[in-house]
Amino acid sequence: MRVRVRFSKTGKLRYISAIDLGRVWERALRKADLPIAYSEGFSPHPKVSFGDALPLGFASTAEFAELTFGGALDIADATARLNAAFPDGIDVLDAVEVADGAPRLGKLLRASLWGVDYADPDGLAEAVAALPAEGPLDVQRERKGEMITADLRPPLVGIIATGAQVRAILHHPGFIPEDPGGPASRADDIHAVLGITQTPIRITRLAQGRVADDLSGIDDALRGSTTLLDPAAERPPAVTTKERP
Amino acid sequence: MPDQPFPTASVWPDLEPHLLRVRKPARYVGGEDNITVKDPATTRTSWLVCYPDTYEVGQPNQGVQILYEVLNEVEGTRAERGFAPWPDMEEVMREQGIPFFSLENHLPAGSFDVVAFSLSAEVGYTNLLSCLDLAGIPLRAADRGPDDPIVMIGGHASFNPEPLAPFVDVACAGDGEEFVLEVNNVLAQVTDRAERLHHIAQISGAYLPDRYRVEYLEPRDGEPMGRLRGIFPAADGATNRVEKRTVTDLDEWPYPKQQIVPLTETVHERYAVEIFRGCTRGCRFCQAGMITRPVRERSSATVQQMVANGLGNTGFEEVGLLSLSSADHAEIRGMCGDLADTYEGTATSLALPSTRVDAFNVELADELVRNGRRTGLTFAPEAGSERMRKVINKMVSEADMLRTAETAFGNGWRHIKLYFMIGLPTETDDDVIAIADMGLKVLEIGKSYGRKNKVTVSVGGFVPKPHTPFQWAAQDSPEELDRKLGLIKDRVARDRNLNLRYHDPYPGQIEGLLARGDRRVAAVVQRAWELGARFDGWDELFDYQAWVRAADEVGVDIAWVCQRERASNEVFAWDQLDSGLDKDWLWQDYRDAVETQSELDDCRWTPCYDCGVCPSLDLANQTAHAQPSQQHSRRLPVLSARPG
Repeated sequence: MRVRVRFSKTGKLRYISAIDLGRVWERALRKADLPIAYSEGFSPHPKVSFGDALPLGFASTAEFAELTFGGALDIADATARLNAAFPDGIDVLDAVEVADGAPRLGKLLRASLWGVDYADPDGLAEAVAALPAEGPLDVQRERKGEMITADLRPPLVGIIATGAQVRAILHHPGFIPEDPGGPASRADDIHAVLGITQTPIRITRLAQGRVADDLSGIDDALRGSTTLLDPAAERPPAVTTKERP
Repeated sequence: MPDQPFPTASVWPDLEPHLLRVRKPARYVGGEDNITVKDPATTRTSWLVCYPDTYEVGQPNQGVQILYEVLNEVEGTRAERGFAPWPDMEEVMREQGIPFFSLENHLPAGSFDVVAFSLSAEVGYTNLLSCLDLAGIPLRAADRGPDDPIVMIGGHASFNPEPLAPFVDVACAGDGEEFVLEVNNVLAQVTDRAERLHHIAQISGAYLPDRYRVEYLEPRDGEPMGRLRGIFPAADGATNRVEKRTVTDLDEWPYPKQQIVPLTETVHERYAVEIFRGCTRGCRFCQAGMITRPVRERSSATVQQMVANGLGNTGFEEVGLLSLSSADHAEIRGMCGDLADTYEGTATSLALPSTRVDAFNVELADELVRNGRRTGLTFAPEAGSERMRKVINKMVSEADMLRTAETAFGNGWRHIKLYFMIGLPTETDDDVIAIADMGLKVLEIGKSYGRKNKVTVSVGGFVPKPHTPFQWAAQDSPEELDRKLGLIKDRVARDRNLNLRYHDPYPGQIEGLLARGDRRVAAVVQRAWELGARFDGWDELFDYQAWVRAADEVGVDIAWVCQRERASNEVFAWDQLDSGLDKDWLWQDYRDAVETQSELDDCRWTPCYDCGVCPSLDLANQTAHAQPSQQHSRRLPVLSARPG
């Protein structure tokens, strides 16, 4: 039985790497005494796979993993046991059984909604409004000791300021329409492109899946439910849980 | 900072914005499964239990884990953990004014009643100074005031506390479990710092260096420094000798019960249980084996219970059955068989990190892995030639080793690792070359069972340690060790399947300085630290020149400490600490080794040879083996706490 879960990575757990996160998952699965399946071969390891790694220090309430179990199990019970086994900072928030023939998890994780939280709302809306409507949105960033320029325009779907938070939807690398290539963008480029002096308190992945057809938000990879870019916006009537190819 | 009362608020808000500037920030965040986080407002006594190395090295340390649990089980007592910050973090802390902190509540070290360091090796001494300095605690005990924490050390290296004497308030000799609880009682009853120290000084096992005066002799002809005249009690109630603490029944101390599960990779990733403490093999180089006598076995039933609970409450995938020679446990066969039965077909792996060279050890390893992977087995013949092994009392013949290799490769193991030392007393070039030859012979056997089978020969330089028969021995200079390594390299260069590993001999020279140095060496530690020495156990940071310069500046001759064979009647810096071993017996054993190469049997199975430990502790080896006569000829016979 395959199960896909959405989970959070918050608090102190934000500072553990993707490799560390895998180990935390394996231990929680053993501690919860769940019948996780093991890979074949010389060095068997639990069958748990993750979406793209969340950069160190970023929080998330929308990380995804796929678990393969040796037999059937009660998803609600398994979720409760896992949550009891995890250290503070990881919680399984949603879980669904995967139907045979369903697209790979990686195919479903095409874009993210990010929230960049600041201490002070002043100047955020102005900075967002000042962004040019078209043309490159270049950001200078260090990568492996070299300064590079990344253009936030190709992956950017939308960006708004709401209170002390700036929210933006970015296509993931590999899923950018008409991708011109060039260095991949990161969520902290959202802050960098604004050119404001205060530094963010926290950057959080709020939703992950695919961009809604009307570009208003992100359709969750498990349920298809939409998290809107603008939380104050009226919910578009057409959005329901729907299967996507 | 020292003039201010210590801040008692969490440093987390100051720390967090800088975490992404340092390598491996998970080292500094805490938050692991099974930690105990108590509210400072509701606790009366507080301990910061530290390991003076990185998180990933220190967290798996059994001493830290055990004392953390033992103390936190006391209501009203709060124990938190601290580890040395890597230099990138030290820089951030100094720049931001963040003091050395705990991982549970991220509280400044200065806010604790006790800051205690577990010292399993000497190479952490400079890090200990970094931690104190970052905490704003005066480095020298004499400069501390009524609001400063009590700085304590314990663990194997503190059996010679003198190179740290000016920096510590209290050293604990021996097992810490009961000791820390007794100290904690003092903290709970008395608030004045000086009064606390006065009471702690009365606790058995407590050595307070400032209550002892060191006197030196005039330098002899040709010697750059004066030998010790003696270390004398210099305060009321200070005794000539401080007896080590010994926990008698390990079944009463089943720790760790709830091992902390690291969030980031550490050097050992397993639930670890000591199956016994102490060792009676009598290897003359081995400090751990000497200072932890007598043998105290944990019963198989307790071990199994601890393993079942320990795996259940951690989710670890590996179990380590720890001791100094695990195959020697009286119930080891049944214990391994039962554990293998329990975990057969699961992903749980069992490890017996013992290095005894015999077929029985292979059999146990076979049993533990059953149908799993038979990758590597490790053995420690320690010396290459028959003669050299007699000198060190490692009673393994070449025939034993080759037979063991035959069994191991024959049973499907693919890789054998062999541990050796060079620089042992009386060693000749032939003894050194014999290491390479043994490696090649074992490899020959390996190849006959499979073309790809491998042998690793790992070679370290011998460092004489206090409280061992070799405490009188001269240590080889780093240059001499380099030359000897060259002999081995030349010999094995031809074979690609023989993997030679060796340590840089220069850190060993500093280890030797700290292991056998007296109180004058403390000035070297402080000066080397001032010159930037940190993480001396890490090749990438070890700075030999800083140590050489520091020793030069403060007038300590490193070669005189390390390369000089001591005289029979010489006073040692650690004589005031009583490990239970009779100094005359140690001397006799040393002479037996270097003059006649005579071996000494394991007293677990053979009659007592009067090393002195059991009578002084009113104990005997506690094992389920049929006991030989435990009549100690020179002293009164004693009762075993659990007769065999």
